[in-house]
Amino acid sequence: MLFSGIPFLYYFLPVVLLLYFVVPKCLKNCVLLISSLFFYAWGEPKIVIIMIASILVGYVSGLLIEAFRHEKAGKLILWISVILQLSCLIYFKYMDFFIENFNRITGMGIPLLKIALPVGISFYTFQILSYTVDIYRGEIAQKNPINLATYIAMFPQLIAGPIVRYKDIAPQLNVKGATCLQWNKQSQRKISIGRWSEGRYANAEDIAVGIRRFVFGLGKKVLLANQLGELCDIFKTSQDKSVLFFWVYAIAFALHIYFDFSGYSDMAIGLGKIFGFHFMENFNYPFVSGSVTEFWRRWHISLGSWFRDYVYIPLGGNRVPKWRWFVNIFIVWMLTGFWHGAAWNFIIWGLFFAILLMIEKLYFLKVIEKHKILGHIYVCLAVLVSFVIFNATDMREAGQYLISMIGFGGMPFSSAETLFYIRNYGLILLLSLIGATPLAKMAVQSMSGKEKIKNIILILEPVILVVLMMVITAYLVDGSFNPFLYFRF
Amino acid sequence: MEKRMRYITIIIMTVFLSVFALLCWFKTSDEYSMMERRYLKQFPNLTWESVMSGRFMSEFESYSQDQFPGRDFLRGVKSATALFVFGQKANNDLYLAEGYIGKLEYPYDKQSIEHATKVFQSVYDKYLEGTNCKVYYSIIPDKGYFLAESNGYPSIDYEILEQDFCAGMNGMVYIDIFDVMALDDFYKTDTHWRQEKIVDVAEVLAGAMGKHLTAEYELNALEESFYGVYYGQLGLPVQGETLFYLNNDTLENCYVYDYTDMQEIPVYDMDKAVGADPYELYLSGPLSLITIENSNADTKDELIIFRDSFGSSIAPLFVEDYAKITLVDIRYLHSGYLGKYIDFKDQDVLFLYSTLVLNNSETIK
Repeated sequence: MLFSGIPFLYYFLPVVLLLYFVVPKCLKNCVLLISSLFFYAWGEPKIVIIMIASILVGYVSGLLIEAFRHEKAGKLILWISVILQLSCLIYFKYMDFFIENFNRITGMGIPLLKIALPVGISFYTFQILSYTVDIYRGEIAQKNPINLATYIAMFPQLIAGPIVRYKDIAPQLNVKGATCLQWNKQSQRKISIGRWSEGRYANAEDIAVGIRRFVFGLGKKVLLANQLGELCDIFKTSQDKSVLFFWVYAIAFALHIYFDFSGYSDMAIGLGKIFGFHFMENFNYPFVSGSVTEFWRRWHISLGSWFRDYVYIPLGGNRVPKWRWFVNIFIVWMLTGFWHGAAWNFIIWGLFFAILLMIEKLYFLKVIEKHKILGHIYVCLAVLVSFVIFNATDMREAGQYLISMIGFGGMPFSSAETLFYIRNYGLILLLSLIGATPLAKMAVQSMSGKEKIKNIILILEPVILVVLMMVITAYLVDGSFNPFLYFRF
Repeated sequence: MEKRMRYITIIIMTVFLSVFALLCWFKTSDEYSMMERRYLKQFPNLTWESVMSGRFMSEFESYSQDQFPGRDFLRGVKSATALFVFGQKANNDLYLAEGYIGKLEYPYDKQSIEHATKVFQSVYDKYLEGTNCKVYYSIIPDKGYFLAESNGYPSIDYEILEQDFCAGMNGMVYIDIFDVMALDDFYKTDTHWRQEKIVDVAEVLAGAMGKHLTAEYELNALEESFYGVYYGQLGLPVQGETLFYLNNDTLENCYVYDYTDMQEIPVYDMDKAVGADPYELYLSGPLSLITIENSNADTKDELIIFRDSFGSSIAPLFVEDYAKITLVDIRYLHSGYLGKYIDFKDQDVLFLYSTLVLNNSETIK
């Protein structure tokens, strides 16, 4: 099910919200879990069983790892659990890639499996991995299987993140004020030992902020990302391409993927807030970065920090000899690219960033720190090039696109079609460029400094939200199926 | 203030979501959209198989869009937002220019033209070559020919289309009508041309086939305003038009037969005039095979027109010079079966197609 779909917004969500706020506190996680499984099964009716199996493996491994944490068995169980989770991911996501390349190298003809990729498998697998590793590192295992399943399967962040870490969210899995049950050996049943004094609690501020965040995220997706995606599709089928059109495409796609993914993250964070959860931020205006290092601190933050904490640091991070440090960076970025998709262009996309990051760390960072404008131009160009590689069907297409962008594709500089589509999408591109910077946020914040203007903004907010929801609904009713880009990862 | 507004935000959004959700859940399904001229998706069949295959879910997605309360109004909101807020030049490929609603007919699809000419040529080779039939063909430019380029919209290269089309039509005579047509020959809200404005086009076509049209007509208008197909697709409140039709005694006395439903039909079907698409008034709209017989004609000549929907409104204008006109729509009747219905001997034969169909010719069989 898509957040940006009528079934989610007007059939699923109202029922879930009603049930969630009506049921007693002790049943709130059950409502979230059941609705999350329904949400997932709506898109993947057969494959939901794989997610349930992964959760069960995670749950049992967590308990066992905790029980044998200080023994060799603990490490062994951790490895078994990690291998099981990764095997599932490799089988569904990467098997055909490996077979294809094996066939290419050996000349053999092993048939491809052609298995449908379960939606969100990369996200929930990483969450389960972080859970088991965190338990091994000393976190307390989740005894309540419903709470653990709620953490992994929670629909706001299930299929496109942010990748929520168990240790960040563990305290929020209990509902503040809910009855706290504990197993009593004597009576052989669970008994109440009081109420949770800690835990999540959605107050009016959280709910209001959550609503605003969700609606703005939905607007980013429907009103900007989808329109930019339309422009990219037009470019791809255009018979009248030009150098200028290639640049327009590169800009439009970079903005498209940003608004698509950050819009989804906003919706996830907003929904989380409505239910009382506080998910980590996933984007922080990455296009204003002055270096690629900074860009990756602002882009898909939850994935970057996951790889840092669970791959880069365990490999030794930068506290190793220089050659080893290079190897660590290469491994992390190759895996980051590979996480995005089972194709060479994703791996090269990751390695492209690895090279840039190393050059920056060795020489370039000092230069661009002194010359901020140069840094911004360099980041923008690097990101545009990277996303052309990212969105290409293969490396040949990526090469053709990049060559055409620098004018060696044998195409005219401009064409009538290019100029028309620049006019047609000009304002959307401009709004997207402004929206990708903190300008609007800063303007609102600066105006909010004056009491009168702040009050006007407060009064206008619900009106703006209703109008925005109306326009978004209008686009959804008029439009067709718009899957989120990050579902395929 | 801040705290109060938080509660107001929550209340307003809860009411908004609840009202629309209740309407979605409990609104009875509409069967047909007059604006979009199509049947709307109904609640999908709920079975174990449809759920497990995912078919139920994808059909429910379409159903929820089609049956959303206030759909037509919301489509208008979307159109207005795209055109007037985001400053887009077109919405769903439709644009407003010079008071007309146009549709982007772009890009040029050479393969589609080749497919059309291949089918037409096979009809010629199979049924017409070696007979005494005189075979002609013509291209009807769509509204975009007059509207697109001059208003900054991408447009197909009509010259290349014409060249490619002519190159694929061997043994047939081309009649050029591009020069006799103008933008005001078209309805502002529809794809089609206006019958009262294309008498000159009919004269050019007839003249090229060795006929001379002299008939005079009474100009009749429909009482109800006409909203063409683009009106519903655009979704904006655009002023309606008057739909005219030309009539005279000759046409009144013609015998029109529809071979699809095996029944006599009128030249101007007044039941269709008040239906979903009033343009179907002309010869009852899209029918695969019809004949118009004029028993008062001074000649025994016959005309066969291979046509699309543009042919329905122009065909009555040829009646005075032919004893029988056969209209064939090979989008609905496979050209391989024509021999069963038509005896090709010595008729005039005209392939008359609009660029809209030629550039999207997959339906021609």
